[in-house]
Amino acid sequence: MREKRRRKIQEALFSLPSLLWLSLFFIVPTLFVFAVALRPANPYGGIAPGWTWANIRSLVNPNYLAVAWRTVWISVLSTFICIVLAVPIGYYLARVSAKWKNVFLMLIIVPFWTNFLIRVFAWKVLLHPEGAIKKILAFSGLISPQASLLYNAGAVVLITVYTFLPFTILPLYAAAEKFDFQLLEAARDLGARRLQAFAKVFLPGIRRGLVTAVLFVFIPALGSYVIPDIVGGPGGEMLGNKIAQRVFVDRNLPQAGALSVVLILSVLAPMVAVLILQRKRERPASLL
Amino acid sequence: MRRSRWPFAVTMAVLLFFYLPIIILMVNSFNASRFETGWQGFSLIWYERLFHEPEIWRAAKNSLIIAAGATALSLVIGTTAAVALHRFARSRLQSFHFGLVYTPLVVPEILMGISLLMVFVAAGIKLGLFTIFLAHVTFCISFVAMTVLARLQDFDESIVEAAQDLGAGWWATTRRILLPLLLPGLIAGGLLAFTLSIDDFVITFFVAGPGSTTLPIRVYSMIKFGSPPLINALSTILLVLTFTAVAVSQSLSRSQR
Amino acid sequence: MSEFLEFRNVSKRFGTIQAVDSVSLEIKKGEFFSLLGPSGCGKTTMLRLAAGFEHPDAGRVILDGEDITDLPPNKRKVNTIFQSYALFPHLTVWENIAFGLRVAKRTKRDIETEVETMLRLIRMGDQAHKKPDQLSGGQKQRVAIARALINKPQVLLLDEPLAALDLKLRQRMLIELDMIHDQVGITFLYVTHDQGEAMSLSDRIAVMDSGRIEQVGSPAEIYETPRTSFVAAFIGDTNFLEGEVTSLVDGEYCQVRIADIPDVICFNDKTMKPGNPVYLSIRPEKIHISRDRPEGTRLQNILPAVVEDMIYLGSTTKYWVRTHGLRVQVLRQHFRFFLDEKPIRWNDDVWIWWHGDDGFMLDRFCAGDEHLVSRPPQKVGESEDDGPS
Repeated sequence: MREKRRRKIQEALFSLPSLLWLSLFFIVPTLFVFAVALRPANPYGGIAPGWTWANIRSLVNPNYLAVAWRTVWISVLSTFICIVLAVPIGYYLARVSAKWKNVFLMLIIVPFWTNFLIRVFAWKVLLHPEGAIKKILAFSGLISPQASLLYNAGAVVLITVYTFLPFTILPLYAAAEKFDFQLLEAARDLGARRLQAFAKVFLPGIRRGLVTAVLFVFIPALGSYVIPDIVGGPGGEMLGNKIAQRVFVDRNLPQAGALSVVLILSVLAPMVAVLILQRKRERPASLL
Repeated sequence: MRRSRWPFAVTMAVLLFFYLPIIILMVNSFNASRFETGWQGFSLIWYERLFHEPEIWRAAKNSLIIAAGATALSLVIGTTAAVALHRFARSRLQSFHFGLVYTPLVVPEILMGISLLMVFVAAGIKLGLFTIFLAHVTFCISFVAMTVLARLQDFDESIVEAAQDLGAGWWATTRRILLPLLLPGLIAGGLLAFTLSIDDFVITFFVAGPGSTTLPIRVYSMIKFGSPPLINALSTILLVLTFTAVAVSQSLSRSQR
Repeated sequence: MSEFLEFRNVSKRFGTIQAVDSVSLEIKKGEFFSLLGPSGCGKTTMLRLAAGFEHPDAGRVILDGEDITDLPPNKRKVNTIFQSYALFPHLTVWENIAFGLRVAKRTKRDIETEVETMLRLIRMGDQAHKKPDQLSGGQKQRVAIARALINKPQVLLLDEPLAALDLKLRQRMLIELDMIHDQVGITFLYVTHDQGEAMSLSDRIAVMDSGRIEQVGSPAEIYETPRTSFVAAFIGDTNFLEGEVTSLVDGEYCQVRIADIPDVICFNDKTMKPGNPVYLSIRPEKIHISRDRPEGTRLQNILPAVVEDMIYLGSTTKYWVRTHGLRVQVLRQHFRFFLDEKPIRWNDDVWIWWHGDDGFMLDRFCAGDEHLVSRPPQKVGESEDDGPS
């Protein structure tokens, strides 16, 4: 009994610093956003006393809806492209010899060690109207000379994929590593064509990795700020930009809060969905 | 069974995709031309100009101070969290604790930035280097904790019992066994925290307030309003520096094994 | 020799599992004592109670007259050899061995002398600078032993130290352990599930099951006179026959009715009386088998049988014969090779016999061992292997 109490005290002591800090600087601020969304703004850019629904009501605005919709479809599209590219790469890396594995993993990670802003800027340069890529594409007739590669939603998707691709490759690779490739041979042996085996055996086999990969792209993409800000232009504006605009340009924190609430909820939704799906999967087994 | 060529082809294409912008950027930093349109000869002029920019030096100094402080504090808090998560793994408190530590890793940075900004404004805390420091510690804790936790999970518990069995009290065990074996994990966690802090933009941008800049904030304003060739030069320097730092840390943690 | 390490009514529970259930044990000084039993029987918990890594819910642990129950592991004069050896990966062999002395703050000269002595004992002087990941399994184990012995503990605790080694290496390490025990002379408490190890190394063995001690004794006692069916079945092979005492014979023996055999003779060391139910255990090597009926004495049980199964093992052959509806295992050692001797084959009619002294009656038959009892089939024409109809 004495042992148990000592352990409990030890556990509390070790957990205390992080619990305190994260509660104070993470949980409380997040809840605070909800509170701020319900308060009026004061003219000096701060928060006035009292409560109001005004900020929430102002969300129902075709402008906001357009931005929200764009945020969602850009995130979905980027996630889709990332997964489509990352699955074959994860598959390839899991099958290649150990020496090459490390080489490729290094090559994939290294660009990631560089500053994020710089990488976005590098793309801004590459996609510049006077830049080489634009010239090549216009010359070969793939796009018209007036078209711009920059300052639109397409550029945002491209660079979002560029940024988050390593985050999708790594969990998919980890899951593929644990996959028993003999299962694919068994499927072929039983008559499945290569693509069938891939779809019906490999993909379900790396399900966990797929879920992690999707979450690692979709959720941060929803909250994108830098990418649409630098290369998005008005046609590529996302929720994050609007929030920043309310804070720095309009100096209206409560409105920014209301928008942030929307973002928080849209981030929570997929996480909760995943949790529920996981519970559902584990329940039936435990009932046996 | 004939292997499909597709996965290999995709991998190669993606690698090219990854490196293209970086290579172009580095090449252009030596381009004497002010515009990206053509190569006008090799030149170090932009590096020279960079050297004489006082704003950049100030921003770099701020970044380093904040990174050093945030790394130190988050190392302490993150390591204690990892120890708790590992040693008491099955309790209900730790399930909650784990969720709390894990969540900042997946939440978009803008949410953390704006929520902290609101709290600071409402509490009347002046925005500046201190608020940046507080914000950085907050997100670094999760990274340090996860890194150290992974290392702890690889750790053979019976070694600690062996040390006690041979007469070592808790201090001798910590000093002679735990710390030496955990050190690589602590260094890896610390380096990760340091890199993240130096590189952070979004959260810093929201809680920095006027007058305090860090290197990423400086880079951002240069991108928006400044001279592209200077950014090329600065980027190349940062690229080389971070690359060297991480390469060194990788080789360090490998030689420990 | 006196009681040196004592467990007095110790109990330990983990959650809902009673790992050790009110166990008392006395180990003599200088003894090689083994705790033998299947996984989960509580033997490792007993070891950890002695080492101090677990605190008993009830009972006391006494070492050399001193109650050490509340002492933490680093204050006890016992040392442990862990199953995984638990060598410190960042220290060399030399430093691993020196660890206990360093912690005890001994002088540099002392440490050097002692470590050199130990290195000589385990014959690894030329590998002192290596790190554990450069050593083989057997070498790691020797370092673990040296690391423990250098502290001159009063008891050395060994937790299945040979489990991770392959067969040949295990046989070699068995001999080494024996030698080290003889040379060093301290008390060894050895935990294993392997009866061969326990039997060959120990002065005494305690057989454990489900947190309790089934029997304590020398290897010969455990083997020849097991008191319960668990002990009899865990060590070596045996036949279990059930029956009832019909009469006493010559004061020292009794007659037992088993199935339809009215007069099985057995040594009566359990003071049985007529009417008592009895479980008889006979080891297969004690039963003789041949084609011809032996002369036999009054104290021998001679039965006709038919050979059902046999396995030829080179130096021995195992037979399963059926007599009076009972299936009995017989082990026969081949002493001489007779060219013209006709070997015993399947379905041959044979005679089996054993001396009344060689069977023994069990104190207690565990319910869990019911399936081991040889009984005649339920119905005529039905074998034991058929399930209930």
